[in-house]
Amino acid sequence: MKLPGTLEALIDALRVLPGVGPKSAARMAYHLVQRDRAGAKRLSDSLKAALEKLHHCERCNNFSETPVCELCSSPRRDPRLLCVVEMPVDLNRMEETQAYKGLYFVLMGRLSPLDGIGPKEIGLERLLKRAQDGVTEEVVLATNYTVEGEATAHYVSELLKARGLKVSRIARGIPAGGELEYVDAMTIAQAFTDRRPL
Amino acid sequence: MRVDGEQGYILHTHAYRETSLLVEVFTLHRGRVSLVARGARRPHSAIRARLLAFQPLWLSWFGKGGLRTLHAAEWQGDGGSLSGAALMCGFYLNELLLRLLPQDDPHEGLYGHYAQALRDLADGAEAEPVLRRFELALLSELGYAQTLTHVAGSGEAVRPAGHYGYVLERGVVVDPEAGPVFAGRTLLAMAAGDYSDPRTLAEGKLLMRLLLAHYLGDKPLATRQLLVDLQRI
Ligand SMILES: [Zn+2]
Repeated sequence: MKLPGTLEALIDALRVLPGVGPKSAARMAYHLVQRDRAGAKRLSDSLKAALEKLHHCERCNNFSETPVCELCSSPRRDPRLLCVVEMPVDLNRMEETQAYKGLYFVLMGRLSPLDGIGPKEIGLERLLKRAQDGVTEEVVLATNYTVEGEATAHYVSELLKARGLKVSRIARGIPAGGELEYVDAMTIAQAFTDRRPL
Repeated sequence: MRVDGEQGYILHTHAYRETSLLVEVFTLHRGRVSLVARGARRPHSAIRARLLAFQPLWLSWFGKGGLRTLHAAEWQGDGGSLSGAALMCGFYLNELLLRLLPQDDPHEGLYGHYAQALRDLADGAEAEPVLRRFELALLSELGYAQTLTHVAGSGEAVRPAGHYGYVLERGVVVDPEAGPVFAGRTLLAMAAGDYSDPRTLAEGKLLMRLLLAHYLGDKPLATRQLLVDLQRI
């Protein structure tokens, strides 16, 4: 049976979502147009508004409705510290800890040659410019401890150090409250490699 | 079919479906295999943190054909870990394997060369000789590189003081009509894996580029391109 054109277009459009195949897309589309038309309207309006209003903050590259986001404009943050994270969710996690009072730069990715993601894709040049604002004293690299996150941290630190900036990397090791008996062997080995003098 | 505790390395992982990972592995007895790690992208997945490239693992999976399920990955113990620029060398080795090695084709000898290359890189060895040794091992194992110690056809031994050419699919030739010329000494040193002479490094790189360019086709190596792009910043 041939589907109405708009329904077919909706199913097709829903497939842009990660992990959504034709079957899930069809299920979502029927749900939206049949069972929850109010929800569908809200989804449609908020998607449109987000696309129109959201841009990347000039300073931190995170999503923002204003040219410079709230966090970057806050006088309560320490502008001498700049923390580099891969994704907005990583920034949110850091903020939840309330342990960090400086500013951020969000790469929106990490260097991953096997996925075709290079320096251009993650705004490396913008980070270099941002870090050289004359106020930043230390750049804290908080990319993930995956092989790609590590490679990213390495190249970013080389580029920043070559420009005279102080660079540090968040520590890895035994988790807070961790007991050796229950910690993954790889984590213990890395914690041993990264041990520090007391 | 069930495979338990097979030695292997993760070459790459991709997101698969909503919560899973497609894991490309290189194993000792079964060569390159694609496995699905179900639920590995859920929060608090126990297996995800262990699917780290460049670390020797014991891998267990079941199923047949295209959709085999990885159900366990145990770390074999410290084989050292890559850091800094050595990581990019590791990505380069993985890219070569992903591009050139067919699936389900065992290459035990090559597995040994790969493990050795990673250990050397982790130990802080100079990268270029490690990469050249691995490239030659890979190309030889796949039948793409001919012997470097004897002349094609005649079987005459290569003389250190002689000068030779290299013809694709044929091997070392005397009196090359075109293309780069290689010192006999270079060819013999490459066959022995000895890159202590800077000339071997320079000519070895040229020969490997020539061969790789042919077998990789038009699509450039992403790891090489990334390093070029970083240089431009
Ligand atoms: Zn901002």
